[in-house]
Amino acid sequence: MNGRTFPLFQRCLLVLIATASLIGLVGCGPSGYQPIDESKVLFWDRQTTETADLLRDIIAEFNAQHPGLPVEAQYSGGYSDIFRKVSSSIQARRLPAMAVAYESMTIEYAQAGAIVELDPFVADPEIGLDADDLADFFPVVLDTNRYVDAGDKMLSFPFCKSVLMMYYNRTVLGEAGLDAPPATWDEFLAQCRAVKAATGKTPAAVDVDASTVDGMIYSMGGDVVRDGKTLFDTPESLAVFALYETLAKEKLCYQIPPGSYDDRDAFAQDEIAFFFRSSSHRTYVADAMGLTDRWGMARIPQADPAQPRTVLYGPNVCIFRTNPEQERRAWEFVKHFTSPEVNVRWALNSGYLPIRRSAARDPRIQEFWAEWPDNRASYDCLEFARSEPNIAGWQEVRDLIETAVTGVLTGERTAEAAVQELKTKADAVISGYLP
Amino acid sequence: MDSLLGWLDDRFDGLSRRSHRDTPIAVFLIAPAVTILGVFGVLPLILSVYLSLYAGRGINMHFIGLGNYTRALTSEAFWNSFAVTLYYVVGTVPVSLAISFVVAGGLYRVIRGRGLLRTVYFLPYVTSVVAAATVWRVLLDPRVGIANATLSALGWIGDAPPQWLLEPRGVLHLLSGGWIPSGVGPSLALVCVMVFDIWHTSGFMIVILLAGLSAIPRELEESALIDGAGWYKRNRHIVLPLLSPSLFFLLIVGVIRAFQAFNSFYALTGTGRGPLDTTQNMTVLIFTNLYQYQRVGFGAAVATLLALAIVTLTLVQWRFVGRRVHYE
Amino acid sequence: MRRAEAVLRMVLLVAGAVATTFPFLWMLGTSLKTLMEATTPSLRVFPETPQWHNYVDTLQAAPFGTYFFNTFLVAFIVTGSVTVTSLMAGYAFARLRFPGRTVLFSIILATMMIPFEVTLIPNFVLITRLGWTDTYAALIIPWCANAFSIFLMRQAFRGLPVDFYDAATIDGCGHLRFLAWIAGPLVKPMVVTVALFAFLGSYNSLVWPLVATSTPEMRVVQVGLTMFSGAEGVQFNLLMCAAAIVIAPTVALYFAAQRYFLESALGAGIKG
Repeated sequence: MNGRTFPLFQRCLLVLIATASLIGLVGCGPSGYQPIDESKVLFWDRQTTETADLLRDIIAEFNAQHPGLPVEAQYSGGYSDIFRKVSSSIQARRLPAMAVAYESMTIEYAQAGAIVELDPFVADPEIGLDADDLADFFPVVLDTNRYVDAGDKMLSFPFCKSVLMMYYNRTVLGEAGLDAPPATWDEFLAQCRAVKAATGKTPAAVDVDASTVDGMIYSMGGDVVRDGKTLFDTPESLAVFALYETLAKEKLCYQIPPGSYDDRDAFAQDEIAFFFRSSSHRTYVADAMGLTDRWGMARIPQADPAQPRTVLYGPNVCIFRTNPEQERRAWEFVKHFTSPEVNVRWALNSGYLPIRRSAARDPRIQEFWAEWPDNRASYDCLEFARSEPNIAGWQEVRDLIETAVTGVLTGERTAEAAVQELKTKADAVISGYLP
Repeated sequence: MDSLLGWLDDRFDGLSRRSHRDTPIAVFLIAPAVTILGVFGVLPLILSVYLSLYAGRGINMHFIGLGNYTRALTSEAFWNSFAVTLYYVVGTVPVSLAISFVVAGGLYRVIRGRGLLRTVYFLPYVTSVVAAATVWRVLLDPRVGIANATLSALGWIGDAPPQWLLEPRGVLHLLSGGWIPSGVGPSLALVCVMVFDIWHTSGFMIVILLAGLSAIPRELEESALIDGAGWYKRNRHIVLPLLSPSLFFLLIVGVIRAFQAFNSFYALTGTGRGPLDTTQNMTVLIFTNLYQYQRVGFGAAVATLLALAIVTLTLVQWRFVGRRVHYE
Repeated sequence: MRRAEAVLRMVLLVAGAVATTFPFLWMLGTSLKTLMEATTPSLRVFPETPQWHNYVDTLQAAPFGTYFFNTFLVAFIVTGSVTVTSLMAGYAFARLRFPGRTVLFSIILATMMIPFEVTLIPNFVLITRLGWTDTYAALIIPWCANAFSIFLMRQAFRGLPVDFYDAATIDGCGHLRFLAWIAGPLVKPMVVTVALFAFLGSYNSLVWPLVATSTPEMRVVQVGLTMFSGAEGVQFNLLMCAAAIVIAPTVALYFAAQRYFLESALGAGIKG
């Protein structure tokens, strides 16, 4: 290197730094979001196959009936892909009109100032919802879209709702001389032992999932978060982990690979007696086993069957800050989608639950229930289902919950130790620990 | 074409003569690559280092100096991911090099069918990691996978079939019957990812080594054979020294690749983190923090530390291993 | 004795080859099973009655035609561009004297040390600013040069005897013509290698296309593959069909082109 090395090098570096800071400035400035496409109301979604077709049909009808900017759904990968795409888009300041999102994702977007509050739309005399309409929704499906961290504002609207259910295999239970599914967790454990003893089969397959754990804690009579602290060290929560511990120790359950549906497959082939999943899985089980009396769906076991509880699942749709025209149009679509007529159609064909009480009076739903009474059970759960915490950082707490369950199931942690560790780490996360 | 190049050459020649250097033509030649790498490689790198000094979720960022670095260096998650990364590097690069060396040596001495065998061994390398990992996930599925089906057909499974990618317990722990504590060494899940990687990359190494072997004069080896030198002696004293440049190249490239491995982790375990975070290497940790938890600064800080680790290790290898490379 | 050794060697090599191909056989076997067979634990690799219609179902479930068109278009342009940019830059770094050469080359190598995941968001912000989202430009331009290829080309050019350059310069041949007609052809094995890496890298990339594009018209095959594994109704047999469909073109291309890059003593130019 000699004296002349520097100018060229320095010049390059200067240009780079200048451009970098330019991007940095533009990237970190406040608000000023724009739509990705001015001419379309984009909806980032994850539906594939039949439900995607149904959604497209519903959108096409909406576009035909309501002249204006056309709505267009775009498949954008799974939830984590959509989260990544939206996060990148927030950084780039160009957003779709709406996207499917879990509460934990919505609150992250909201903290970046990218979410449109829905309360003004709901209250709008022209395009809003009246009191009767609002009363028709099950309270829980709306409440879950109000965010404590955003001053209790409504930031999203229900899209694909379902509840945690227990699927039981009558053939396997019958082999152990059992004729009814368990109503309490004690009965559940007893039935598992009976099945194991009578058939040698492993009675339950476990998909390690934070929502399921929340639902089980609810069913034990407990809660997950109160006043900015988690409640994982409470007896109700410990009971859930202790149950997992017992199941694992006595080899009454096995864990399935994350993202797989081995539980469903094993169930369809009468290898297991129980699995716990969202009510929306009914369509897939029905595909594999038919609408026979070989299997059934029931609410999850309870600590106290007189006061049942379960968890409300499923993504919502959130509207992003783009421009007033797009935002309004997106709301109109959301309203249309959750109208009684469309909601019933969606529920009948997608496997998700109708979210309005009036659905129960719809003749198509009644016919459907007559044909398949178990679905009534999941709909009835909506009266007492509870949503999961929708506070900032919950995305990370979900991972911590799943790690804790894995630790117990693999025998690497005792229930006691797992619960303590989970409590400490989760509290640190939600108390705003942000490195 | 030729006349265009000739014309350009003359222009550059004119410019060069004035400055007595190759600068004008060099600028022309490197401009496309430098522009693209500058904009899409160096710029993000600078931005990443810059962001590592800030806290916040990608918005409302505030400067905290080296806070993310101290937080990383004192966090359990970082050191866990560092250990996972090291296990992975040590468990894949030397192993696939050794396997490739043996296979390449074998293939080299095969006359009939060499082409076909070489093609077969190279096959995994041309397939996408995502597609191949999808297949492996099914192979290793504890319930329907052929791995457990085979073991159970052989009667080697009791009431606890191996959980493969779901198993957080250490492979040494499992092999020693519990004598070695579970937290020591890589988990079985991590070993599965390693085996996948060895399967996926060895073909590449085999082809490179085979090409290196073809450059070795046959007479050398034949004379050694006549002298009665055994397999080990022939390899140690003739083949190894002559192959050392290729081996060194593969080592350097392999180590950089293994440090940055991400796709195979992500595609095999679903999240990359694996059971009890036992497959969370540094890249997965970065990814999780950047895109799952929105901890941009922390993720960027770990990225800087990873880059520093790679640079250091590459330089060390260059100095200490590079010295022993035998060039003709 | 030596015959026994040869037989043993062959047996071991064939065994290794079978083990290497086994996942592919399993994939093909499973892709031809019914859903029931595919989800039943069994030692059977191939089903009794192959369900060829699985492939028809899979191809109908997603617009693979569009995906393949996009993927190949992008992969071919990227491959061509990477080859040209790295030939040019590699030559300059190997043979030309200019100020800042060492520093620039070190910076280029430094971009190899940082994982791609880190550059994802800055690059996405950049292409959005440039108005490139959902265009071929976004899929192609950021990948038109890479440090590793430049490094490989530089090594190859450095491996050529210096006399060539001197002789050519005396003949009055400029650098560009020398590069195009003499030096370039001499490093052909490395060019083929670089092209192969570029093609595989582009064909197999997933995360960037997923983030950089949104409309179905711009999707690539790897993204198409995620539609089969991410959905709640994942079906092992169709998933394996999709994997086979995605893998097939690279394997076919490899069989077609292998003589070029395998016969041309691939590794000859790779030296520390």
